Amino acid sequence: MSTVAGHYSYWMTIVLIVAGMYILIARGNLMKKLLGLAVLQSSVYLLYIAPAKLLGGTAPIVAQGYTVYSNPLPHVLILTAIVVGVATLALGLAMVVRIREAYGSIEEDEILARDRADDDRAPDGAR
Amino acid sequence: MTGDLVLRIVAKLLMPFMLLFALYVQFHGDYGPGGGFQAGVIAATAIVFYAITFGLAAAQRMVPERLVERLLAVGVLLYAGVGFAGLALGGNYLDYFVLDPDSVHGQHRGIFWVEAGVGITVAAVMLKLFYMFAGRGRDAGDA
Repeated sequence: MSTVAGHYSYWMTIVLIVAGMYILIARGNLMKKLLGLAVLQSSVYLLYIAPAKLLGGTAPIVAQGYTVYSNPLPHVLILTAIVVGVATLALGLAMVVRIREAYGSIEEDEILARDRADDDRAPDGAR
Repeated sequence: MTGDLVLRIVAKLLMPFMLLFALYVQFHGDYGPGGGFQAGVIAATAIVFYAITFGLAAAQRMVPERLVERLLAVGVLLYAGVGFAGLALGGNYLDYFVLDPDSVHGQHRGIFWVEAGVGITVAAVMLKLFYMFAGRGRDAGDA
């Protein structure tokens, strides 16, 4: 029982990963897909940050009276991951803006329907 | 531009505190959680909040896009400049300890300027991203 309750941060990580992946796969709206991607990324941050925190540990700056420090390496790694996450989110949003301008919709099924309609028409028009 | 009186008054009241909190996070980064990345994002959030409440044109009058583009480069140059200052004073690139005769002071000085550079660049990048998304299709029309 204590192993289940003691690892609640991992359970929260699993919930966030699965929720993010579900939104990413099941939703047709491109904005909602990007939000799912953001939730998925947050779960990875949590996966790295949670084990790095020591109970009673302080920020890793050497000072008198402190002997227990949290591990700074995962924080530095995740700082980079957050920056990369912001950049990929901005890139994804830029693509959604362009898709909206080209197709007039951000619903995946409507975009695919328009693509199929164009494919059906194109051979006749080319010949 | 929205006509909601409550929203506009609250936005005007909150703006200075958001910027003050950004400065606190920026300068407290030496000793606690915080630093340039977080402070830059918080400062940019204040401007984005202003733009959402009073309109993009008002925000761009307060923080012009040309200034944002300059600040992008200024932050990176500040960061790199700290590195070259270390070289000029006889240390390695980004060597904080030679920035002051007292090595602990030198370390503080190096962290301060590097974080200032990071904060300026992050705030400018966030604002530039927001301006580009928010301004798209307005000046050129929906093409």
